[in-house]
Amino acid sequence: MPLDYELHEDRLPNGLRVVVAPDHGVPAVAVNLWVGVGSRHEILGRTGLAHLFEHLMFQGSRSVRSGEHFEALMAVGGRLNATTWFDRTNYFETVPTGAMDLALWLEADRHGHLLDAVTQENLDNQRDVVKEEKRQRYDNVPYGEVLPDLYATLFPVTHPYHHPTIGSMEDLDAATLEDVHDFFRQWYRPDNTVLTLCGDVTPQAGMAAAHRYFGELLSPEPTVHRPPIALGPLSEPVRFVRVADVPHDRLTFAFRLPADPDPVVLRAGLALDVLGGLSSSRLVRQLVRGSQEALAVNATAWGLVDGASIAFLSVDVASDAETAAVEHHVLTELDRLGREGPVDDEVEATLAQNERGWLSSLAALDERADVISHSTLLQDDVSFVNTHVDELLAVTGEQMREAAASFLRPEQCALVSHVRGQTEKEGLDDRAS
Amino acid sequence: MTVRPEVAQRPEVSPPVPWRQPVPVVTRLASGLTLATHDLPGQQVASVRMVIPATLADEGAGREGSTELMTRLLDEGCRGHSPEEFALALERQGIVLGAGAVEGGVSVDLDVPVRRLPDALELMALAVAEPTFPPDQVSRILRNRLAEIEHENSSAPHRGARELLRTLWAPGTRAAVPTAGTSESVAALTREDLVARHRSLGPADATVVVSGHLADLDVRRLVEDSLGTWLPGAGEGVEPAAPQAAGGGPRIVLVDRPGSVQSELLVAAPGPDRTDEHWAAFPVTAYLLGGSPNARIDALLREDKGWTYGMRASARPRVRGGSFVVSGSVRADVTAPALSALLDILEEAHSGFSTAELVSGVDFITRATPARWATADVVADETAALAMEGLPWDFPQRTMESMLLLTVEDLMRAWSRIAPEGWTVVVVGDADTIRAPLEGLGLAPVTVVPA
Repeated sequence: MPLDYELHEDRLPNGLRVVVAPDHGVPAVAVNLWVGVGSRHEILGRTGLAHLFEHLMFQGSRSVRSGEHFEALMAVGGRLNATTWFDRTNYFETVPTGAMDLALWLEADRHGHLLDAVTQENLDNQRDVVKEEKRQRYDNVPYGEVLPDLYATLFPVTHPYHHPTIGSMEDLDAATLEDVHDFFRQWYRPDNTVLTLCGDVTPQAGMAAAHRYFGELLSPEPTVHRPPIALGPLSEPVRFVRVADVPHDRLTFAFRLPADPDPVVLRAGLALDVLGGLSSSRLVRQLVRGSQEALAVNATAWGLVDGASIAFLSVDVASDAETAAVEHHVLTELDRLGREGPVDDEVEATLAQNERGWLSSLAALDERADVISHSTLLQDDVSFVNTHVDELLAVTGEQMREAAASFLRPEQCALVSHVRGQTEKEGLDDRAS
Repeated sequence: MTVRPEVAQRPEVSPPVPWRQPVPVVTRLASGLTLATHDLPGQQVASVRMVIPATLADEGAGREGSTELMTRLLDEGCRGHSPEEFALALERQGIVLGAGAVEGGVSVDLDVPVRRLPDALELMALAVAEPTFPPDQVSRILRNRLAEIEHENSSAPHRGARELLRTLWAPGTRAAVPTAGTSESVAALTREDLVARHRSLGPADATVVVSGHLADLDVRRLVEDSLGTWLPGAGEGVEPAAPQAAGGGPRIVLVDRPGSVQSELLVAAPGPDRTDEHWAAFPVTAYLLGGSPNARIDALLREDKGWTYGMRASARPRVRGGSFVVSGSVRADVTAPALSALLDILEEAHSGFSTAELVSGVDFITRATPARWATADVVADETAALAMEGLPWDFPQRTMESMLLLTVEDLMRAWSRIAPEGWTVVVVGDADTIRAPLEGLGLAPVTVVPA
């Protein structure tokens, strides 16, 4: 059953891509901007800058005082925030219909004229706030270092996905006002941005408002973008062990996939779900319900654009189980999946769960707008929101097997092992194959 | 080359268009089950929420957690299906099924693409009415709860939340113990305890909420043929209990978590539930204190001092009774000044809120509501909460209307009801470094407990 969300697209003379997706179910509009800059664009010594910069976008711009962006929109019933990821930075608000113009005016002011208002004081304050965010999300939580360890194990030091979006404390300390100015001038430009309006707005009104508020923004001469360099799977297994104060050993089996929009990203993600993404998945049956050597199994795949994507499977090992035996079991099942593929029931369950998950993510205006901005900015594909479900349901078990055999083999695995212990030490060594 | 357009003037915001909260169509089925449906055009995933009255006070001292852990076993095997078969049956239909308990009731939640709703309701009925509690899965779920407690112990917000229950509510009462039990109570549970908890449930005062794009479905018949076949058994006359406050004045409990680079602060007092006639003032007060980066707490602790990523204040209603909680983490070396500043802000609020603050809070909450009510899952969740709390179906609309009439005096009166005997404070952090500064504040006695 194909989806048919109504979509209208346009490109302003300054290069801004605009998509309007009318939905008059409730009197609200989701305003969603994706800027084509993320932590993958950061240079050595300045990790965390894209995210720190995102915080500064709330600290005032030419005609907006510090904090006013939040204040003005929340005062009229807006819910808003921003996020930074490897590939992009996302600014969004869902506002009552009558406040859409205000949201666009505020966004245009900061996306066009942030530097008029950035101060050392704001930079220093938000640097402190971001450091507390890092402590809260990474440094002061069990397993907080799993993902940074995973990135560093899976990618070489010079790779754009080697470091987490949050960056390092040293690099956050090193960020200067000049860095902020350079960063804005290089990346914050209408021809590197997508604006999606999803909700109670007509195509005519939405496009007119986009022109009205964003039309005056300038795109300077295009900068030369470094083309992505395709990075294949690991050629031999790598392992990283961290002894940490964690309640249970956690094994994370990570893999490089091709970059989006290669169809293998979807297929490999589904293959990993067959192993560990569902309640009926193989490893859940075998290790969680069956032998009870594992407490939980999870599977994740992230499509990324810079030469590679990331997929991983994580297993929390029960206290009385042998971690090495669990590791061996998972690697054996990865190998078997690549050789034998999933059975029909597994294919059916995996597709059905992913379909429901996808439809749920389109239920709310803000998430639907986010999906549209994503595919428009990073895949130049406005209609992905409508076509993806058909692409998903057409995936076969054999395609999942092929993806597993090509990209999820044991010898292509970066294994990050966080094991219980009081003293923290770390080491990187090659696993005996 | 086009002429560069002019810079647009700051636009005015037009007043919100009238919006009515979706009120469910309600019918009562022969089994006693109440059915509440919301037809939401375009919502492709249907949400089903079942609310079954239950009181945790029945679990018995030393056996806390039996209700919640029983709910975790509803989809681990039922009549005609092994746990594996049932998991597969659910997932082949694209169903996600979850369940949990609070004081007042058990909830069972299901989401599924609308076209698969008929099959989904039949599977849900099996889970609700005929779970088999296989012994190997019972032991696993009990063991997983013990592991979950270890995870909670290592996470400052979770450990803090547990200590807050133990500190805020009277010793020996059910509210002072986590819903899913402690390591001692869970270790004492048997399969028979869980089976008995399930037997105590029945459809008599239960409610099923179904929302989504339902236009092409006869939902009443589908529910009658599935969940409606669950026969009346027990479950009548459940009276949820309000928690009893520990009382005894202000105190600080420090949960020692060596090596913490941040301290988790939880500042709390008993508060109202949503049946309170002045309820509308409490969400507004919470928002003005700690609901945004510009709210009083974050304006100082985050945007001025840079001590925190953000703190939140919230009124947390239970089915009966509730609490008012401010929580968040701060840099370890400013724990004491941050707590002191936070308590000063809460005290200062007794001097009142400005009219501008009142308007901003009321406008945020009332005008943000329509967009929140756009999806089947939120509408179902909100409606199920009304059933759980015994509130009228149009309660959210009425609350919004009450909010629009609030005065600054109403906010002051509401705030004067919070923490008249002082705040209960839980801090999770490195006692070696923060104990002395906390004691130095001279606010209240500091008790240190291990993580």
